[in-house]
Amino acid sequence: MNKTYLENLDLSLYSKKLNNGLEVYIIPKNNCNNIYATFSTKYGSIQSEFVPNDSYEMIKVPDGVAHFLEHKMFEQEKGADPFTFFSERGADANANTSAFRTTYLFSGPDFFEENLNYLLDYVQSPYFTDENVEKEKGIIEQEIKMYEDDPYSRLYEGTLFNSFKEDPIRKSVIGTVDSINEITKEILYKCYNTFYNPGNMFVVVTGNVDPDNVLKIIEQNQKNKKFDNFGVIKLKKYDEPDEVEKQKEILNMNVNLPKCTLSFKFNLSLFPNITLKEKILYLSIIFDCNFGYTSLFNEQLKQQKITSSDLEISNIDNKTHALYTIFFESDDYEKIIELIKNEIKNLTLTEEELERKKKTIISSQVFMSDNIFSLNHKIVNDIIKYGKVITEDYSIIKSLNIKDAKSVLKNMDFDNYSIFIIDKK
Amino acid sequence: MEYKKIDLGSYNLHLINTDKFKTVSIRINFKRKVKKNELTKRSLLSRVLLESSMEYKSKRLLEIKTEELYTLSIDSSSYISGNYLIFSLYSTFLNNKYTEENQLKNCIDFILQILLNPNIEQKKFDKESFNLAVLALKEQLERQIEDPSYYSSIRADEEMDKTSSLSFNASGYLEDIDKIDEKNLYDCYLSMLKSDLIDIFVIGDIDNEEIKQEFTKKFKIKTIKKPSETHILSYNKFRKRVKTVREKKPFEQSKLIINFKVEDLTKFESEYVMRVYSFILGGGPNSKLFKEVREKNSLCYSINSSYLPVFNIFKIKAGINKEAFKKCVSLIKKELKNMEKGLYDEEDILAAKSTYISSFESTGDNPNSIMGTYISHEYLDYDLIEDRIKNIDKVNKDMVVSISKKIHLDTIYLLEGDIEGDNNE
Repeated sequence: MNKTYLENLDLSLYSKKLNNGLEVYIIPKNNCNNIYATFSTKYGSIQSEFVPNDSYEMIKVPDGVAHFLEHKMFEQEKGADPFTFFSERGADANANTSAFRTTYLFSGPDFFEENLNYLLDYVQSPYFTDENVEKEKGIIEQEIKMYEDDPYSRLYEGTLFNSFKEDPIRKSVIGTVDSINEITKEILYKCYNTFYNPGNMFVVVTGNVDPDNVLKIIEQNQKNKKFDNFGVIKLKKYDEPDEVEKQKEILNMNVNLPKCTLSFKFNLSLFPNITLKEKILYLSIIFDCNFGYTSLFNEQLKQQKITSSDLEISNIDNKTHALYTIFFESDDYEKIIELIKNEIKNLTLTEEELERKKKTIISSQVFMSDNIFSLNHKIVNDIIKYGKVITEDYSIIKSLNIKDAKSVLKNMDFDNYSIFIIDKK
Repeated sequence: MEYKKIDLGSYNLHLINTDKFKTVSIRINFKRKVKKNELTKRSLLSRVLLESSMEYKSKRLLEIKTEELYTLSIDSSSYISGNYLIFSLYSTFLNNKYTEENQLKNCIDFILQILLNPNIEQKKFDKESFNLAVLALKEQLERQIEDPSYYSSIRADEEMDKTSSLSFNASGYLEDIDKIDEKNLYDCYLSMLKSDLIDIFVIGDIDNEEIKQEFTKKFKIKTIKKPSETHILSYNKFRKRVKTVREKKPFEQSKLIINFKVEDLTKFESEYVMRVYSFILGGGPNSKLFKEVREKNSLCYSINSSYLPVFNIFKIKAGINKEAFKKCVSLIKKELKNMEKGLYDEEDILAAKSTYISSFESTGDNPNSIMGTYISHEYLDYDLIEDRIKNIDKVNKDMVVSISKKIHLDTIYLLEGDIEGDNNE
């Protein structure tokens, strides 16, 4: 088992890749009682066009399959269903699907060995029938409607849909009522057999555990199971252009206060000689200093009573393009849009600001490391995003410098943007 | 972990000493009997205090200071707990080991600066900060109406009993905002310092003597002590005919809320038996309601029950299709009857108990959860973690059956999603 230190956090990471391809990551934290285990596949809503493991032809599956499949994994042919099993052992169980991954999880301080074995077992024994697939459609339809009523989800989904053109990152993870109605058990098995191979999956355990013991349980569990040899999954490649799909859209909903996003799309190859992680860090700091809570711009908007709440900044990327979104709520959203468009011509960053933001990022890492849930998510996110766990965040952040920051700032191109507005009816 | 309560005359200092965390958390609570006409003022006060202070004249300067203090987080809220209205100022920051030598002192200075040295001129709050807080509060209140979950819950409470503090909005009321000015809000602040009951909770790797000295030196106030109120609401009348209310709003999904009043319970019943009852009926994906209404009948995505001990209220909430209203209610009633008849397995009770035992055990992993147990110990005489683990295990089926007879169905409220109706208007 490999052992590495998480810099500045007084924690160690143990890891190993098993013979069947399954990767295991463990961070013991013995001053707490609870244990959190996640079992993830590198399969989310964006993997919708691929060559299934039993054929040579590229297929396209309906939108929302990864999420539907996640729901259906809770169906078991025999024995207790997962919720009952974990509940009887006092553990919390759940699962979630994003654009990039599907994760099954439990947390609980007791019955760890049983729980971990069960997590591996139920995720590795699918049971889909025509009947149970049909039944799920009504439930997911209600879930879709719940999100449709939520202006913030509509705004988020609309923003992604209009900002990207080709990459399926633009589509809703959950799918639509129409697309989920096309799902059959055969489609689910195709996706399952392709993406739920141990070679495409990883386990992360954080909390009060002994790493050797965790590894022993997992190795023992996997030893008796047979899997097809794992090859590289052929995924459709998308050539994402720099342009956005749609520059502006207004959706009318039952809201009192209009909500708006202004998103800038950056081609990441415009920032050479630094890593993806550094690119995202610099861009985030630049946006934060110019539009975040500590910016004069944000303060002036409030002083001029154009909005009462702070601007909020978020980002997402598909490795070739990063999207930085500024969110705000205001009756006078057109004015804010104009002001931001004007402000981007004069973005600045001082060394003092950069150093202060570095301090806050380093501090957030320390906060994160006190919590076994956040720690686990950091590992999962790193693997999905960077293909490995980043243990040297501290040095990376420390080494950020004003010269590189200015060079990123200089190369930022604001021509590609998309505006999404949720306005009153 | 060591706990010490120090009576400092004007306030109690509760010190929880543990070296488990890299952080220190402080919560300062002011409580008084809840009065509907004071809610808006207190809610506004919680915002104004965080807009600026004498030393940091704007929110931006405050935010910059929190970053310099290694991302100290600070927030405040005004909330209703039974018969009390509580104003709470809380902050979490990294301890000296992960920052610098004077971090603890600097952070306490900053927190008390916010609380005790507000931005005042001629016995009035600074006009700019006041106006910003007013605008933000107005927007918050407007946003609440847009949120179907929040709106349906508070409407169901109002339909049940408009005079009960349960149905009050702790954030305040739009129609009351115009009655507040910089002067009378400052009077409200002075009155809070003078006549509220004050408790300060601190948790972390701390030196008790140092904390005590810091507070006695920097938090000097004189209070008029008033006798405490009964914290928990109590009912002497129960509705014989259930009240049913349907209200239309332009949402996709409908929200069903069922409210029950609960007879006066013993401390043991309220702390333990009700938890087990609620867990079996609607506590999670293994619950009777989830299995019957969602899994068997596909009528909803979400359904759960909860017990609000300080209000003595039991609630069932579901997101449904309006066509399913009658069927949902009748299925729920059937499950309630089954609970009264004890038609569930011993395993259900065991699952509830092990879930709570796990959750009590995990409480110790989170400083805010630990603090929460000491707060409910102080306010409600609730047991501390070790006793909770012992006591929940004593709950048996007879107790759960007998408590089901003390829960009285009061109001069934449906927020009917009606998108078409809205278009016709």
